[in-house]
Amino acid sequence: MQPLLNAQRICAAYRLENGDEVQAVDHVSLSVFPGEVLGVVGESGCGKSTLAAVLSLTARPPLMVKAGTLTLAGQQVTLAGKQPYPVTWRGRLVALLPQGAMNSLNPTLRVRDFAFDVLRAHDRQVDRRVALERARERLQQLSLPPRVLDAYPHQLSGGMKQRVVAVLSTLLNPRLLIADEPTSALDVSSQRALVNLLLELLEREIIASIIFISHDLPLLSNVADRIAVMYAGEIVELATTREIIRAPQHPYTRALLQATLVPERTIRGRRIEGIPGQPPDLRKRPPGCRFSPRCPHATDRCRRERPPLETIDGRAVACWWVFERERRVPSVEESVP
Amino acid sequence: MTPFQRYLVTKTAWYLLAFVLAVAANFYLPRLIPGNPVDALVARMAAGGGAEGEALRRIYQLYISEFGLDRPLWEQFLVYLGNLARGDLGTSFSVFPAKVSDLIWRALPWTIALQLPAILLGWLIGNALGALAAYRGGWFDRGAFVTSLFVSSIPYYCLAIMLLYGLAVALPLFPAGGGYSYGRLPTFTWSFVLDALRHYWLPFLSLVLIFIGGQAVGMRSMAIYELNADYVNYARGLGIPDRRIVTYIFRNAMLPQVTGLALSIGSLVGGALITEIVFGYPGIGTLLFSAIRQNDYPLIQGVTLLIVIGILLANYLVDIAYGFIDPRIRAVQAGER
Repeated sequence: MQPLLNAQRICAAYRLENGDEVQAVDHVSLSVFPGEVLGVVGESGCGKSTLAAVLSLTARPPLMVKAGTLTLAGQQVTLAGKQPYPVTWRGRLVALLPQGAMNSLNPTLRVRDFAFDVLRAHDRQVDRRVALERARERLQQLSLPPRVLDAYPHQLSGGMKQRVVAVLSTLLNPRLLIADEPTSALDVSSQRALVNLLLELLEREIIASIIFISHDLPLLSNVADRIAVMYAGEIVELATTREIIRAPQHPYTRALLQATLVPERTIRGRRIEGIPGQPPDLRKRPPGCRFSPRCPHATDRCRRERPPLETIDGRAVACWWVFERERRVPSVEESVP
Repeated sequence: MTPFQRYLVTKTAWYLLAFVLAVAANFYLPRLIPGNPVDALVARMAAGGGAEGEALRRIYQLYISEFGLDRPLWEQFLVYLGNLARGDLGTSFSVFPAKVSDLIWRALPWTIALQLPAILLGWLIGNALGALAAYRGGWFDRGAFVTSLFVSSIPYYCLAIMLLYGLAVALPLFPAGGGYSYGRLPTFTWSFVLDALRHYWLPFLSLVLIFIGGQAVGMRSMAIYELNADYVNYARGLGIPDRRIVTYIFRNAMLPQVTGLALSIGSLVGGALITEIVFGYPGIGTLLFSAIRQNDYPLIQGVTLLIVIGILLANYLVDIAYGFIDPRIRAVQAGER
């Protein structure tokens, strides 16, 4: 099957006041297949939201895309350089469901006016009545009250606002929805409602795929088909949700799982372990494996050489310790990132 | 009564209360200035050598009772209120027996003709400049910002004197003072209007400059703040064109600027003081200045009453108008929150 989105070797950096650059996303490659939910997990500051901005084509200074190619619904673009893609891709091919929808709506605009603006941005000729009718239908289809169209953002509750934003994001039937921590500001029942809404959008084929970014591994394991684990700007492991949860390979993935509460019977009595140490300062990253300073299995090689992301039995992992255990040590040529 | 009507009634009541307090202060404050207007009047007569001794004392007594200054303050206040209710602002002491209202009506057109166009023009240019600076960034922003900050932070009288020296003395492009040439009488003839216009530019320029500076600085920071708001990023992410997003930003950044405009128009009368003194321009400011120097209570009261009404009215209108611009404030007005 052809992937809907294929991102290759994406590098993105923030330019600082003094001219230095902080590499927030470093040679990240991933694919999303039609009908799939790809989860991206990692602790705060690991580059998740930066990746979301790059993939949703909304990166803007001080964030700069340094390199990478993107193949989206059969069309390929090189990301570095000035606006290499048509503006109409945004919202139509790929749409962002932002982090913290609280402030994502213009406070002085009614929801219906914004919905009209979204539709008109991609069809100059669209009639206002037709546009609003379409928005109303969509809301009804997703069992949301159509009266929210007449509301100003401040008149909606937090959970409702987030759901309305999800509907607005998908108004143009984008192929790929990039949900950047969509549930992080919500209580559990609103989280549930939002996740159900996203899955319904997928089921009704309003959207084809979702990249779901979160720091909440238990939530992600309920939504995602595959999960990518990010650490310090890199993907360190990418596998199906089942494999990540049942048999994590990378020591960081293991540590993440150790640090989450899983109310399953087999592991209920376990002690929650934190991950010792701090994520690295992205301005001065360790030369070898970036997790090595915090890793219980780190060897000299880990501290010296960066492990490549290798695919073993259909699952990708970047860890010398795992490679050695699997008795498949890649040669030095292959290990150049 | 709808909540909005209730809001209107309470607001009106508060402003009426403020008005009454202001009128009381307006009455007492000039009377706290040491000295007595009749002293000055009688002293002038004595200097002229017209009367002396007993006759002077009799004239003094006559004036005191004529102006009602021998009665207790509270009684004078009641008389003042009664006259005010009939629209009678009293008789000037210093330009006896001219009516205060006539003096004000003669001076007001000069002040309004100078200030109103200057405020409106300065507001328009200042806001456009500030928004543009925020938008363009780079050297344009730095240049416009530093200049605006400089112009708006020099004390106004310094700026006025610098302009006066630069453009009327060192480089005599404009006349150095007055509203028209000496020896002319205000008439509606072409030659007089042209003469008045020649005297108009310099004070006009000083006011426009200072207004542009203040507005540009405010608008720039508001627009920068709005540019970084989440809703801007979200709207971009859905492919909404920049020119549409600019209208969002403008409306939201405009709120404090509208207050600024209304308050400047409201305080137009009081704001004229320094301009008119520095440029020797006829108008309310000059009138107030000479009234204060001569302890002309009724005239001071008349002018300050005008200032009070202007400021209260402007504030009142801003309070109401806010609701039309920002739905969140309308919600508060309507008692929704």
